[in-house]
Amino acid sequence: MTDEHPALVLRGLAKQFDGKVAVAGVDLDVPAGSFYGLLGPNGAGKTTTLSMAVGLLRPDAGGARVLGHDVWADPVRAKQLLGVMPDGVRLFDRLSGAELLAYHGLLRGMDPAVVDQRAAELLDVLALGDAGRTLVVDYSAGMKKKIGLACALLHGPRLLVLDEPFEAVDPVSAALIRDILHRYVVGGGTVIFSSHVMEVVQRLCSHVAILAQGTIKRVGTLDEVRGDRSLEDVFVEVVGGRTATGEELAWLSR
Amino acid sequence: MALPVTSSGGREGGGTAGQVTSPDGPAVERVRPVSARHFVRLKLRVMGNSFRGQGWRVAMFAGSVIAGLWFAGTGFFLLAAPGLADEPTYALMTAAFGGGLLVLGWLLLPLVFFGVDETLDPARFALLPLSRRTLVTGLFAAALVSVPAVAALIAAGGLVLASGLLGGAAAALVAAVGVVAGLLLCVAASRAMTSAFATMLRSRRVRDLAAVLLAVLAALLGPLQIVALAAVRQADWDRLTGVARIVGWTPFGAPWTVGVDVAEGRAWAVPVKLLVTALTIGALLWWWSRSLESAMVGAAGGGPAKARSGPTRAGTGPAGARSGAVGQLFPWAVGWARRDRFGALVARECRYWWRDARRRANLITIAVVGIFVPVMVNFGGASFSTGDGTELAAPNSSPMLVSLSMVVVGALASVTLANQFGFDGSAYAANVVAGVSGRLELLARMAAFSVYVLPMLGVVAVLLGMVLGRPTWLGVMAGSLVASYGAGLAISAFVSVLGAYSLPETSNPFAMNSGAGVAKSFLALLSMLGAAAASVPMVVAAALLGDAWLWLAPPLGLAYGLGAALLGAYLAGDVLDRRTPELLTAITPRR
Repeated sequence: MTDEHPALVLRGLAKQFDGKVAVAGVDLDVPAGSFYGLLGPNGAGKTTTLSMAVGLLRPDAGGARVLGHDVWADPVRAKQLLGVMPDGVRLFDRLSGAELLAYHGLLRGMDPAVVDQRAAELLDVLALGDAGRTLVVDYSAGMKKKIGLACALLHGPRLLVLDEPFEAVDPVSAALIRDILHRYVVGGGTVIFSSHVMEVVQRLCSHVAILAQGTIKRVGTLDEVRGDRSLEDVFVEVVGGRTATGEELAWLSR
Repeated sequence: MALPVTSSGGREGGGTAGQVTSPDGPAVERVRPVSARHFVRLKLRVMGNSFRGQGWRVAMFAGSVIAGLWFAGTGFFLLAAPGLADEPTYALMTAAFGGGLLVLGWLLLPLVFFGVDETLDPARFALLPLSRRTLVTGLFAAALVSVPAVAALIAAGGLVLASGLLGGAAAALVAAVGVVAGLLLCVAASRAMTSAFATMLRSRRVRDLAAVLLAVLAALLGPLQIVALAAVRQADWDRLTGVARIVGWTPFGAPWTVGVDVAEGRAWAVPVKLLVTALTIGALLWWWSRSLESAMVGAAGGGPAKARSGPTRAGTGPAGARSGAVGQLFPWAVGWARRDRFGALVARECRYWWRDARRRANLITIAVVGIFVPVMVNFGGASFSTGDGTELAAPNSSPMLVSLSMVVVGALASVTLANQFGFDGSAYAANVVAGVSGRLELLARMAAFSVYVLPMLGVVAVLLGMVLGRPTWLGVMAGSLVASYGAGLAISAFVSVLGAYSLPETSNPFAMNSGAGVAKSFLALLSMLGAAAASVPMVVAAALLGDAWLWLAPPLGLAYGLGAALLGAYLAGDVLDRRTPELLTAITPRR
């Protein structure tokens, strides 16, 4: 790949909702070939940031570039290189898994024969083949995550943007998703995903950014960010959570 | 039977685990009783919060208040009319039939048109230790605080006035009691009905089916009304008074007729009728509380996924095209489409028009309305007002009138797309991420919808031509239909891009965001008027050109409709390209 450009560059992304600041100027450089974890507590602005990065939400200020292509000025090129799995967004769930994959593939302008072949393979690998013609709306939460990932992967994007890929996923499916993502990065792809599961981030990621209150608090390689402590300690310290309760809530123990 | 989720205070846990909240536990502060007042305040607070910083919601609420007042005023004077005109003979009939219609409306309308105001969703209370009685009375009280309830109360006030004028203060007082009881009956009936349906229809497939059946019923309401009106014209008043008397003893009429009874000197009937009402309300509330419980349990856990029909069916379709994923996506009706972006969009939309209950219900409405509107317009009052029931053979129709009715049908059909993106909800994100161009998106949606609608419109034209006995008018009808349909598609394209709103994603197929009903009808009305206005040339031509128009209409109408639709997709597509993310935000339901 001609990867002189970073896979994803965010510059000064900012967004307010009804006067409430959700994201207050985020700068981020995701190097090509990295496995990037975007960490943050609930409500930190992870979803908002990623939505703006992929063109689902128009930022109030700032911009995003995917492998050198501006998401807002040159959306077609940028979106070709992108695979996205948004969180809290429905799929076209009145389709069966195979139909959904075919839809995504054709929408990406792929050759029908290739779509057929890759869809069969993905359904097989993700253990969704048994679902047959069950509609996605009737899938379990974990199956929905997996079919969402399959849709994002189908056209072979150079950059995968995943919002909470491990939420509501059972350990077996999570391991499967981890393996697939790992293989994807080894093969030259770039992944950025949001999570608040430290264990997963620690195991997978080469780079980490910690987002809280709409700004990046820490950023760098995994080792740079955590130093000689555990990632969780750093995270709690940065986010400013409290670690102990003393007298308050005394009535909980009787 | 499952245990009730909401067992009050100390009942769960029994005596074994002393740590669990027990009413007499020393460390637990006194549990203060929850009254209906709390639910009412909660509802008002939720409503108030939803207005915050949302000018258009306030505007919509104001709109619904105005509509409610208009309805209330009209109803008031209609129901008060016998008293104002001093016509005691009609008093009983007005009270029994007017009140009965009110109850019927509360029963059926929420199911089909407006949906239930789910400001207070029962499922949200599932985890709170509230007894069933507290919950039902609370939710019931909260349900009374709504625009329709207040409007109905004002309207029914007309009965109080009528009774007062005819029978003095005592009659008015009794009527007032009856009206309040009647309102309670209405609200209880609508709640019990929707709740029972919502639980009965937990399974998605059954629910889809029921929604469709209800849509048919709703669409038939109009025609049935006409038949009823025709019947009324023929019936004699004495018989009707007899019917009214009987209705007055059923729950439909009992609460509304007590005032008239006093005025007409049948005071003995009052306690009996009030008892009938009270028993009915009690039964309805009991029924509601039963279904509430299962609604709350059901909301807690989604059902397990089960395979629809086993493993992939291979090679059953034409030429074995179904085997691959792509083959499965395309229904046979769009088998002609190329396997590319456009084809995929069309195929997906086609699947959705059938599989999404909301959309399917719309299609059915088009079919039913498409038949009845033209029949009504073209047979005018003629056949019904003569009353002797002989005539469908001499309709007072003309090419112009036929064109006009066809314009209405075409416009009505196209208006279904006025919130086409709202049907998708946040799923539309997939198209945004894939970078689908606006023109392609809109064209594909028009094409897919037309796959269903154009054949239906064709059937409408042929049927009407046969019924009217004027096969030569077929061309005029088809031309007007296609012209108005195409123009309507163009206008709906703009409305759907600029005026999109979100539809709720709940398990209750009857749920509606508060106020959305008004927005829906307003936007639909706007695009319908636009489509009808754009098709005026077809009607004018039909009026002016005479026989030549019979032959000119089909090609000109087709060209006009097709041109309008293409132009609409072309221009609205540019608008869509510029505001794709904003559209996505607009149709994503807030949580």
